[in-house]
Amino acid sequence: MDQQKNVLVIGAGIAGMKACLLLAKTGKQVYLVEKLPIIGGKTIKNEESFPNLECSTCMVAPVQQEILQHPNIKTLTLSEVEKIEGDIGNFTIIINKKARYVSDTDCIGCDMCFDPCPVSISNEWEENLMNKKAIYVPCSGSLPNVPTIDTEHCYHFNGKQECNACVEACMFEAINFDDKDEKVEIQVGAVIIATGSDIYDVSLLPQFGYGKHPGIYTSMEFERLFASNGPTSGELTIRNSEKTPKSIAIIHCVGRKEQDYCSGICCMYSAKHAHFIKHKLPDTKIYNFYRDICVPGKTYQKFVEKINDIETQMIYHNSMDELNILHNENEITIEYITGKSKKETLTVDMVILASALNPGKDFSDISKMAKIDLDKNGFFITNQEKVGSVESTKPGIFIAGCAEGPKDVQTSVIQAEAAVSGVMSCLDS
Amino acid sequence: MKKKIGVYVCECGPNIADKVDIDKIIETVVAANNSENVEIIGDRHKLLCSAAGKVFLEEEIKNKELTHMVVAACSPRDHNSTFINVCKKTELNPYLYKMVNIREHCAWIIPDKDKATNKAIEYIQGGVARVQYQTELIEKKLDTNPDVLVIGGGIAGIEAAISLAGKKRKVTLIERSAVLGGKSVFLKELLPSQAGKEYINKRIKDLTDNENIQVFLNTEIEKIIGFLGNFEIILSDVTNKDKKTEIKTGATIVATGFGLSDVTEFSNINYDTKDEVYTSLEIEKMLSEKGKLKLSSGVPPKKVGLIHCVGRDEKKYCSQICCNYMMKIANYFKKQSAKIEVKEFYKDLCLPHKDDQKLFNLTKKNGVDLVRIKEVSLNGTKIKYSRIDGTIEENEFDMVVVAPPIIPSDSTKNLSEILDIPLDEFGFFQEAHLSTNPVGTSTDGIFIIGNAQGPRGISNSILMAHAASGQIRTQLIPGEQIVPEVKVSEVLEAFCMGCKNCIDVCCYGAIYFDEIKGISVVNEAICRGCGNCVASCPSGSIRLKHFTNEQIYQEVIEALK
Amino acid sequence: MDETKFTPKIVGFLCNWCTYAAADLAGSSKTEISPLFSVIRVMCSSRIDHNLLLTTFFNGADGILIAGCHPGDCHYDKGNYYARRRYALLKNVMDTLKLEPERLELSWVSASEGKRYADVVNEFSKKIEQLGPNPIKKSSVF
Repeated sequence: MDQQKNVLVIGAGIAGMKACLLLAKTGKQVYLVEKLPIIGGKTIKNEESFPNLECSTCMVAPVQQEILQHPNIKTLTLSEVEKIEGDIGNFTIIINKKARYVSDTDCIGCDMCFDPCPVSISNEWEENLMNKKAIYVPCSGSLPNVPTIDTEHCYHFNGKQECNACVEACMFEAINFDDKDEKVEIQVGAVIIATGSDIYDVSLLPQFGYGKHPGIYTSMEFERLFASNGPTSGELTIRNSEKTPKSIAIIHCVGRKEQDYCSGICCMYSAKHAHFIKHKLPDTKIYNFYRDICVPGKTYQKFVEKINDIETQMIYHNSMDELNILHNENEITIEYITGKSKKETLTVDMVILASALNPGKDFSDISKMAKIDLDKNGFFITNQEKVGSVESTKPGIFIAGCAEGPKDVQTSVIQAEAAVSGVMSCLDS
Repeated sequence: MKKKIGVYVCECGPNIADKVDIDKIIETVVAANNSENVEIIGDRHKLLCSAAGKVFLEEEIKNKELTHMVVAACSPRDHNSTFINVCKKTELNPYLYKMVNIREHCAWIIPDKDKATNKAIEYIQGGVARVQYQTELIEKKLDTNPDVLVIGGGIAGIEAAISLAGKKRKVTLIERSAVLGGKSVFLKELLPSQAGKEYINKRIKDLTDNENIQVFLNTEIEKIIGFLGNFEIILSDVTNKDKKTEIKTGATIVATGFGLSDVTEFSNINYDTKDEVYTSLEIEKMLSEKGKLKLSSGVPPKKVGLIHCVGRDEKKYCSQICCNYMMKIANYFKKQSAKIEVKEFYKDLCLPHKDDQKLFNLTKKNGVDLVRIKEVSLNGTKIKYSRIDGTIEENEFDMVVVAPPIIPSDSTKNLSEILDIPLDEFGFFQEAHLSTNPVGTSTDGIFIIGNAQGPRGISNSILMAHAASGQIRTQLIPGEQIVPEVKVSEVLEAFCMGCKNCIDVCCYGAIYFDEIKGISVVNEAICRGCGNCVASCPSGSIRLKHFTNEQIYQEVIEALK
Repeated sequence: MDETKFTPKIVGFLCNWCTYAAADLAGSSKTEISPLFSVIRVMCSSRIDHNLLLTTFFNGADGILIAGCHPGDCHYDKGNYYARRRYALLKNVMDTLKLEPERLELSWVSASEGKRYADVVNEFSKKIEQLGPNPIKKSSVF
């Protein structure tokens, strides 16, 4: 195999996976590096995707399956790139592949190891809305369907007590406590960075009361709450209770001012949330607190209008700074300034904070490692001398998806395919 | 010949072994099927998907000379491909094998072991019956032509052509008009970058200098037939319809750009040609032709009003780029003279890209007055508007700029008929999938980029050009063949009565009508194997290979026994 | 057949991409599902035609469930819309065949709706159990 024709793709979200599949078709060896134990990215956390409201799992699962079964794609989960050396056509990459403790060739995904595990800890992938065992898959239907062990909480690893329960439960001898982290060194000709982005930490803004009241949710928490494979199997009940909300407020643009950009997708997913709520709780009142409705392109406006006209009350407010969420045990009150500059309040049972997307925590490390530049916001910057480029500031390294800035699935896929074209130019000259 | 059918039940550790009585299953299946024509070879294995399991199956196929195989295990979504690959290592055609799901659909969902066992027997019997009706299918390889036709000489088409052209891949670019560059040649600055006209001119030169690209101006496409890898195309000269050129390509990219709606069709916009009212593109043209923004009297304006979102409510979509370019235009005025009073009227600000906010911040810094409004109307150069608090105001300007909605290019409808690519409800070309395949279409090998697919800016249009290039370069590799899907539909000539129902229902245009024989014919290179045509056929003359009626009936009959 | 206790036979035609995946998810979540229900996998719900459905009824199915991707989600663009049209057509003429229309059901179940799949199947099975045996079942297999 001509190693200069190999490609590294960092991040197994929709952009990274799409890029891998195209490149693998050409016979290139593609390495897909993902830091989570599963592939699929943020798309699979959504029950349905806008604007077609189609089931995200149905949309992405065939792609995930094809990735895992493709002979030319080597998927390294629980892995992070540690070193990127060299130049276009000839990069040396060192990957830290963390121990999974469960063999992906022996495990058949029967879940028999979960029940005996005595540990119960918060499941981050489910936005901490439910618990998982110390041996776990992030959610049912995860791909690859092979558990991993949280060594921080597993009794065997943290030494709290002797425990061998999962090993005993596994009939396939798939669990190996002696599994070790591994350094994998590969040679590639080009790199695509498709790490996705993070979500703005709304607890940085105390005015919104996040974390102080069980009825206050981030938009991603709400996605999981609604998901039929999520913490409540899709029942819309307020955290730690059986109570269904009678009124819900969706606050747009949370973190927009702080980040100094519009994330471009929040109006759409908020309209989708309103639709979800109306669908499951037809009598629940929905209020959208917005400043601008950003619905670019041919299909988005119609989607938002259709939902907002029928299902929600749109409340324009004058200033994000003057919108405060007050709460006591029983209720949540939103205090805001109307378009007529009057102060008003509204009491609701639940609040969803439509949070901005922001750069990943590891972006600056990756940028240093790869010797490529970030923009002033902290996203990866593309070659500014060209128009519509996906090249990074270093030849042979490309950027696709939300790593370049917040965007929808459509533009992420466009960038991924464009990055593939860039890679082909580098490697097949 | 006597059929030798291997039936292998996977224990899947305890997952299947503990929940059903595997020995009873095998005994029953062997007893039920063994006859003078059929011999069942039944066996169980600890884990068929393991390395040892795969070797076991391979040996069984070879040593027992199996003619068919049934694997009863987990979901085919997990391991169908695993066992197909086992077959491929042997003489057994993979389409003479069938996987039966007795884990997810049996062992794991039926707690009663007897009931689960009976259910497993039923499913396996269905598999054994079905597999005998399955037929060998052979993958075909098709030669492909790597060349590409690009329709449209705007910046998206130019970028696509340059990206694709190479020693082993020739590109033909056709442009309906006499000039290249489309509307981008009028733009002073290309958002979000600072690049401008010189960038476009450079790319036009790169295109015309490229020896692997042939450019035809004043040329339209007249006819196209074929499929990914093999298109036959007739081009014709706009000025002389009889002048035709025939070309062959493997793929076609549609980059026909956009049109602009006539703003006076909207009831709130009223002005006369003598009024100092300009569309955004007219401003760009004025700037690029005269170097300065002036009133028709030749003096620069002192007070300019800009109206965003014209016709947005009527068109029911946001053209995506107007907020950005209106701020760009506001800044043109401010750069010309900071004294020019500039007021922008907008309903919502649409700034979806991270760099857009920078432009907004700059525009505010430049002293542009951005006014959020509920309603707006234009009479001559008088703008009447209601602010968000309900107050109504009216201002007279000496120049007004309006942002018209982006609409499909006027060639779109005709082209959609020639290419047989559907349009969406707004009249733009319909993409294969809005989110996961925005540059693809219902026909593999035909791509839509830029504003042909929907309103977008230059940088996004160029991204789409590269995306289409990415797809073509990985799907059509010079010198390599493609392997189309084999589980496709076929028409049984003798039964087809030529009603064309199947042609109507096929979402991929995979069926065409043979006028001479008077029957439908499936193009196997296009068919994706959904079976919709089979269900539409009143005479039962279409079969979906590997999912024929006879094959499905076998499963039905066993389920009903 | 034991006349006192009726055990219906129910056939489900599931599309490969959505509902079959949901059935797998229900299975891997160990959700109990009626053993009266038999799954037959097809690539798309649009493959199911009247011929297939009637043959299945004539051969003794007490109920048939067609299940595929939600409208708009079809793996093959619009196949499920065609399936819905064909379903509606047959449903309208079932009366004339002396067959209760309730015996045929169409449902959209997406790949992540494992629990819903189980609910749909179990409820349908219960409904068919209450409805009693298929009145037009032919004694012979074709």
